[in-house]
Amino acid sequence: MSQSLLYNVLIPVTKAVVCFLVVALVAGVLTLIERRVLAALQIRKGPNRVGWNGALQWLADVVKLITKEDHVPSKAEKVVHLLAPLLVMAPALTVFAVLPFGPDFSVTLPWIGKVTTPVHAAADVNVALLLLLAVSSIGVYGIILGGWGSNSKYALVGGLRSAAQLISYEVPMGFAVVAAILMANSLSLVAIIEAQRKAGVWFVFPGLIAFFCYFVSGVAETNRIPFDLPEAESELVAGFHTEYSGFRWAIFFLSEYANMIVISTVATTLFFGGWLRPFPNVAWLGFLDVVPPMAWLLLKVCLFLFVYIWFRGTFPRYRFDQLMALGWKALLPISLGNLVLVAFAALWGAAGLRVLGAVLTVAFAGGLLWARLRPARPRGTTSMAGRPAEVRV
Amino acid sequence: MSLLDRILLLDIFAGLGVTARHLARPADTVEYPEKAKEPSERFRGMFLLDEERCIKCTLCAIECPINIIYIDWHSEKNAEGKAEKKLDRFDLDMKRCMFCGLCEEACPTNPRSIWLATKTYELGTYERNESLYLDIRKLTQWDGNVKPFPTADPAKAPVNPAKEK
Repeated sequence: MSQSLLYNVLIPVTKAVVCFLVVALVAGVLTLIERRVLAALQIRKGPNRVGWNGALQWLADVVKLITKEDHVPSKAEKVVHLLAPLLVMAPALTVFAVLPFGPDFSVTLPWIGKVTTPVHAAADVNVALLLLLAVSSIGVYGIILGGWGSNSKYALVGGLRSAAQLISYEVPMGFAVVAAILMANSLSLVAIIEAQRKAGVWFVFPGLIAFFCYFVSGVAETNRIPFDLPEAESELVAGFHTEYSGFRWAIFFLSEYANMIVISTVATTLFFGGWLRPFPNVAWLGFLDVVPPMAWLLLKVCLFLFVYIWFRGTFPRYRFDQLMALGWKALLPISLGNLVLVAFAALWGAAGLRVLGAVLTVAFAGGLLWARLRPARPRGTTSMAGRPAEVRV
Repeated sequence: MSLLDRILLLDIFAGLGVTARHLARPADTVEYPEKAKEPSERFRGMFLLDEERCIKCTLCAIECPINIIYIDWHSEKNAEGKAEKKLDRFDLDMKRCMFCGLCEEACPTNPRSIWLATKTYELGTYERNESLYLDIRKLTQWDGNVKPFPTADPAKAPVNPAKEK
């Protein structure tokens, strides 16, 4: 077997298949984990009947979804209605091609010999971040087409909301990503991770504000609570996928979870050093290298996924005007201002990043500490006290 | 909220802290079919009939707004040669009962002969008339989960304010 065939066809195809299967599996298991964690947050138990303590619940759900009727509404735009889930899923899975899961590794395969390849689905693209933003934005087409093609008012409103929301939050997300690019001086995700090793500091410290903007926008991009207006149950039945059932609905569901994994992985890569261990330059922490790089990445991604679920268990849904106000009036100016800040620090090189990181971390931690330690507001000074007596309830 | 509080997102972190504390708490869920919660002492579940106390006056059946209590009785000479009423039938069509408790209020005996006393709350059946039609046997002896009548001692019995007037 020639080397080019091996490296250009066999390995990429294998990686793609493995990646797809793993993502589908993780998305399935994640639904179960989400339900259990959510239940724990709400002092419930969650699904615990199927399999050992509910461990097979997700499998039962998958079987149920596959065997359900694939219903198409009678006056729906059939082609669009059938195409929309694929348009959502394809970008969500395509993005995995450029996500770096670990450094190069070598395996010795039977018949073939030693193979060295990076742990990417495809390759280290030098404009990976651009590709990632561009491809993941296509997903909104699937959502709006699914909403429009269903011939349902709920679905249409859900689709339109989703379009408005995704377009609004692309902007602060883009600025937050630009901050990371400025710090790393590269668009390649691998180069960004290596830059964090060189700078000796995870970009979350100098990019604290950028990370915050990125993650909030990311939650909004994936239509998750508290930004789940496109599928707001109490208002729109199920939003853009109201008219979907069975496996097509499952595809929407799967792509939502795939998008969550993408957002978490990119957040890890840009701001938490990807597969690097904590403090990659501190020598005496070298014992942490026992944990393989990919495990570090998975650990961080899992933490982000937990935060997603934690958010879901904590926050109520935004009103639409609040959503737009947060996106345009808060996140956009904050991320732009942060860009200026980071640009000046990056001009100074790694030292500048460290100083900015230290300043931001100390300011944030100090502020939280002060808020914790300050004297409690004296009683009777609530907003009720100032009001005239007849208004009091 | 001060500006600094808003910049530091104190409310957001406070909310996350609350849910995080709940994460550590054990679940309050009771796995129902296997385990069940014991109702409190003051729980008033299903009817209980005390045949000894009942004087067969049928006031409860008369008072019942939807006439679901069916009482038949006959007179009988007892050992002392006196006439005594004996119950033939005391049925309560539970599936139509609305738990207004008027039968309990109408009962002239003290303590009451019929009152909502058991801790039973599992009323589900597979057949419509299966167990919701209560006869004497069911009304007098529930499945061992009958709580003792709390005011058996007349001296300690709480005075009914309505009757005192």
